[in-house]
Amino acid sequence: MKKIIVACGSGVATSQTVASKVNRLLKENNVDAQVEAVDLKSVERHMDSSVAYITITKTTKEYPIPVINGIAFLTGVGMDKELKKLIDIVKSAK
Amino acid sequence: MEVLSNIVNFLLSLGASIFVPIIIIIAGLIVKMKLKDAISSGVTLGVAFTGMSMLIDFMTGAISPAAEAMLSNTGISLPIIDGGWTTMSTISWSWPYAFLMFPLLIVVNIIMLVLKKTNTFNADLWNVWGKIFTAVAVVGITKSVLLAFVVATIQIIVELKCADYHQHRIEKLSGIPGVTCTHKMVFLAAVMYPVDLVLRKIPGLNKNFNAEVLKEKLGIFAENHILGFILGLIFGILARYEIGETLTLAIKCSASLTLFPVITKYFMQALSPISDAVSEYMNEKFKDRTLVVGLDWPFLGGSNEIWLAIIWSVPVTLIFSLFLPGNEILPFAGIINIALAVPAFLVTGGNIIRMLILCTVFAPVFLWIGTAFAPFMTDLANQTGAVALGAGQMISNSSIDGPVFTYAFSHVFKVLQGDYIPLIVLVVWVVGFLLYRRDLLSEVKADEANDMDIADTESF
Repeated sequence: MKKIIVACGSGVATSQTVASKVNRLLKENNVDAQVEAVDLKSVERHMDSSVAYITITKTTKEYPIPVINGIAFLTGVGMDKELKKLIDIVKSAK
Repeated sequence: MEVLSNIVNFLLSLGASIFVPIIIIIAGLIVKMKLKDAISSGVTLGVAFTGMSMLIDFMTGAISPAAEAMLSNTGISLPIIDGGWTTMSTISWSWPYAFLMFPLLIVVNIIMLVLKKTNTFNADLWNVWGKIFTAVAVVGITKSVLLAFVVATIQIIVELKCADYHQHRIEKLSGIPGVTCTHKMVFLAAVMYPVDLVLRKIPGLNKNFNAEVLKEKLGIFAENHILGFILGLIFGILARYEIGETLTLAIKCSASLTLFPVITKYFMQALSPISDAVSEYMNEKFKDRTLVVGLDWPFLGGSNEIWLAIIWSVPVTLIFSLFLPGNEILPFAGIINIALAVPAFLVTGGNIIRMLILCTVFAPVFLWIGTAFAPFMTDLANQTGAVALGAGQMISNSSIDGPVFTYAFSHVFKVLQGDYIPLIVLVVWVVGFLLYRRDLLSEVKADEANDMDIADTESF
């Protein structure tokens, strides 16, 4: 199963909110992937094993995997677009 | 009626890990979850409570003897165990009236929106527990559940107003439009602001340096497993343990800090369908109006300054805890003090030097207030069985969010017993809040005027 990561300060509250929501949306769309909430401080450790990184901060840093805007899932604004982007990434990933 | 109250009392007597899941199953069905999903949420919540209880038992079992040895060897008495916010949220959710805070939050927010008294929709339903936490303290002091909900209502309103005022600055600092922070941790900014006004006048403090490089180097010390291990080593040394005992304590501390977030995630998983349902309902209800969405703090977490201030505050808090008169809490699970760094970030607009000074000045506040809240949290934990504590053990948090506000608004009723200190603190906070509000709003005006100037020049 493909892994997607989402990070917040403690890896508990906000990230888990996004993770639960995206997991539900992926399941509804029959996409086989698992979103995991991680701690922002240890996000680098998860890069190799993940196909996408959902971020809830504004980031200018380059990451080796595609970055998805997680704020969209919290506010609902632009959520459908980000979800489609994520689904495309998951489907095209090996 | 008597049968019903007997049933309720029976369920309450079974403890938080049974009755809170029953409440969430009922709440889930009210927001039209499928029965199977509602039961899954409920059982997950029971797992979360049981897991936290096991972990806190493990943590206190490791740290309490060390704290006692520390007392007999060094004379430093820090009997209150620091369970951090994860423990506080567990105990808060176990309050029998906790779930009523959901409808209260939603109703107050809708009324404020309809009356156009706010533009913010608080989508951070996880932090409902922050209102419950304050309410629990009010009940502890006044024994009145009604007053507890009155104070919680005040907190909900102030959170919305504070979020309105902050929106512009937060957009400037984070680069993210349309969101703001409704978390009560930002309330500390009200009392930090007057101190920062003085700091702004000191030449040399307004310089900034690159926080990113330092954060990359020091960041590992803030990772839970490493930080827990280091704290365990320090506790072992202060307790004059042998090397073997010290290492065992260190690895147990490391395990506790690493596992707290893991188990707390189950609370989130259980509560997430309910908060999603509420968010969707609110979006539908106010779809014709552009609302600012109020979130928890982590969307600001991309700022290196915040992380640097958090790392800085760890040794500062630890040193204060050993020598500060009136402190009885041994900092542990709450030592990653986001509630100190985030308001400092907002007040200074991300100036790292002033942030570090503010974090140092305000670190003692968290220790004092953590000490003051220990009796209520310990009592509630014992009553509901949310957390297993040994006889005479006390538990609290060394990083209570918005400590000054939470203390002042819950303890103010002590005035009836002739204790005026909380009332004075309350007045200081309100005055600071009004001054800070003026600062935030004048920044909005100044930036709007600038934008107009730019627009004017461009049109020529």
